Amino acid sequence: MDPVSTAQAVNEVQTLVTHIDGYVYPNEQNLLWSVLIVVYPYITGLVAGAFIMASLVRVFSVQALAPAYRLALLTALAFLLCAPLPLLLHLGHPERCLEVIVTPHVSSPMAMFGFVYAWYIMAVLLLELWLEYRRDFVVWGQRERGFKGLLYRLLTLGATDVSPGALHLDERLSQTITIIGIPSAFLLHGYVGFIFGSIKANPWWGNVLMPIIFIFSAIVSGMALCVVVYMALNWVRRRAADDACLDKMGMFLFFALLVDFSVEALDWIHRLYQAEESIHVLKQLAAGKLFYSLLVGQLCLGTLAPLFLLGATQLLRERIAMWLRRRIYFISAVLIMVGVLMMRWNVVIGGQLFSKSLRGFTTFKLEPAGQEGWLMGLALMILPFVILGVLVRYFLPILPVTAAAGEPASAEK
Amino acid sequence: MTPLKLPPQILRLVLLTVTILGSYGVMRHMLRPASFGEYGHYRGAALEEIAARPPTYAGMKACNECHSDIVQKVAKFEHKTVACEACHGPGREHAKDPDVKNAKLNDRLCLRCHEVDEARPAWLKQIAEKSHFRGDRCVDCHVPHQPKETP
Amino acid sequence: MKFTLSRRQLLVGFGGVASWLMAQPIAQAAKTAVKKVFVSTQAPKGYDPFKHKWLMCIDADRCIGCGACVEACKTENHVPSESMYFRTWIERYIIKKPAAGSGDARGEVLVDSPNGGRGGFPPSMVPRTDILKAFFVPKLCNLCEKSPCTQACPVGATFDSPDGAVLVDPNYCIGCGFCIQACPYGCRFLNPETHTADKCSLCYHRITRELKPACVEVCPGQARIFGDLKNPVENDPLQAFIRKNKVQALKPNLGTDPRVLYANIDKEVR
Repeated sequence: MDPVSTAQAVNEVQTLVTHIDGYVYPNEQNLLWSVLIVVYPYITGLVAGAFIMASLVRVFSVQALAPAYRLALLTALAFLLCAPLPLLLHLGHPERCLEVIVTPHVSSPMAMFGFVYAWYIMAVLLLELWLEYRRDFVVWGQRERGFKGLLYRLLTLGATDVSPGALHLDERLSQTITIIGIPSAFLLHGYVGFIFGSIKANPWWGNVLMPIIFIFSAIVSGMALCVVVYMALNWVRRRAADDACLDKMGMFLFFALLVDFSVEALDWIHRLYQAEESIHVLKQLAAGKLFYSLLVGQLCLGTLAPLFLLGATQLLRERIAMWLRRRIYFISAVLIMVGVLMMRWNVVIGGQLFSKSLRGFTTFKLEPAGQEGWLMGLALMILPFVILGVLVRYFLPILPVTAAAGEPASAEK
Repeated sequence: MTPLKLPPQILRLVLLTVTILGSYGVMRHMLRPASFGEYGHYRGAALEEIAARPPTYAGMKACNECHSDIVQKVAKFEHKTVACEACHGPGREHAKDPDVKNAKLNDRLCLRCHEVDEARPAWLKQIAEKSHFRGDRCVDCHVPHQPKETP
Repeated sequence: MKFTLSRRQLLVGFGGVASWLMAQPIAQAAKTAVKKVFVSTQAPKGYDPFKHKWLMCIDADRCIGCGACVEACKTENHVPSESMYFRTWIERYIIKKPAAGSGDARGEVLVDSPNGGRGGFPPSMVPRTDILKAFFVPKLCNLCEKSPCTQACPVGATFDSPDGAVLVDPNYCIGCGFCIQACPYGCRFLNPETHTADKCSLCYHRITRELKPACVEVCPGQARIFGDLKNPVENDPLQAFIRKNKVQALKPNLGTDPRVLYANIDKEVR
């Protein structure tokens, strides 16, 4: 068969077994970014949110949250360590990744990731943790033997002065770093929103509100993660969670979710009113291809249901028994986490389902195996929890905390 | 030990920062490709590398070197805007070694341009394959190089 | 004691990393030297990218939808043969008549590009009598003046060459796909063989050898007009095209300032 008739045969077949509605540019038929790019902003968002939760204790002196302070920081670290992994793994040439910091293109939002990430992990999170833990490292280093002792002694970096003056300095430095840390956490996740928001070619992404939406959904998801991790850790260690702390977390979660919901609603109102050229295709997208993940998953299950549940605990706190409140907090937190994951999905996958010609839709086939399969995404979602487990084992011993819940932390204040 | 009167933890942090920034500087210096930034924010050598790929289509000039008679003939008729390789396919192999023959042509090729389609501009001569007289082959009635002539 | 230990370790580690890094450029230099010797026999000589400014324009009225350009592009540039990778493709626009009595000026707009138009178009499903008008539009990289793909590339692997092409450096691209998302015209794809971004290069390896791009070479209707803005020839077709036609660019609202100009296309084209 000559090439021309082969090509015509392909044409015939193509018009029959098409998964395309309307017209999409030929290069857009298969989705480029898949599960890994869904997981990436999700994990990064959890980091930012967990850090904001921790900074509530230090900067805004919300003492009720002190029992969860260290856990929130360690959670942020565990997830931050995994944040660049999905990006790295989705690259066509992961071995060339150093180019991003060797010859960064300053006009590219993606090139700035290396720097924002490095800044955040080294200048904010690790520093904050080190100052917070330095006294304990010195104490534990003297007490423990073997690998653990060596690890603690190494981590002091040789700064073994634990006189009140030195500790006071730690405290002051730590305060400063948290204050720098809040805009940094906003920067870290606002920048992830900017990666999508800066793409003017795509009307679903290219939107000034995108960084804001990402920041608030990040805060919500990170706080929800802290609630889940805090409750789970106490359950594993068979200890009662601090109820005042849970109530406070529930309150902040509710208000953060309220802001997040308002911002996203504002986004839709704005889009619908402005009704630019792309609005037809976006409406079809929301009501069609994204019906279950956007309207059912993200809106109803992930936002309205927890808003209602948490709102009830806020309005009727006295009338709802603590055991029920605990369950409500846990369920709401899980729902929120699922909802925010759906939101990432709707942004990343939804943005590639319609054609930039605004004339049609393609279909996403979720595959289990392979570089971009959901198994990989699942593995990347489990990995930070494994890391968190290790971190908790080494840096959140049961004894000092059980001795008096929240006492060591509040004593430092 | 230290002439500076810095608190120990600050000294450690300063040392660490200097080490990290220093190794970043060294790494950047070492890994930056030689021709990077020659013309802009890219490897200057890339221009040459991309240009180095050998062409597959030879171009009319190459055809004209041996087949100037045919090229001149075609230039007088309706198909004057049609390059040799538009029908005969990529010819660089043939130009390098005349023993390598180009692919045989068939009627599909004529129909690819001349089958009627609403989207085709009106200036183009079009036929509906089904209603057009069907001899054995298009070339039985039409000469591709001189479309107005009959064989 | 602890302090010296950790600092010594630090220094040793630092030295190790530094020496590894120092070995890298040597290895790289050796590799490029070998490569240069290998390819230089074929590289075009004496071409100065600063003395040219290439441009392709499209006259949609001359496009007959034969798909020869798509075929030639795939062959010339080793574009994967599957029907979802194209450096250039042809779209067919069919604008239907408005429903009788609807008061509309025009009916539904149908666009298709089966297999990118490679090998020609199968007959349209729309009956002839329902068609108000129809036409073909060849698509390619729009050679934006302010190219969003170049802006988005994190490492400088895609760039605007001095002579007017927007190129991808396949030996430097990390394959992140950001440029593909940033292109409003769908002109880029991730090459499944090289795992790097791929796109129309204006046949850079041809134009540097005084050959026309493959699609221009084989276009029977001369719908693709190609030329050098810095060195116009006598009766330059590109100059004549721009002078004689009312031209427009695609998606001008995005501010990408495409250099590729189209004549005789309808408002529906985007």
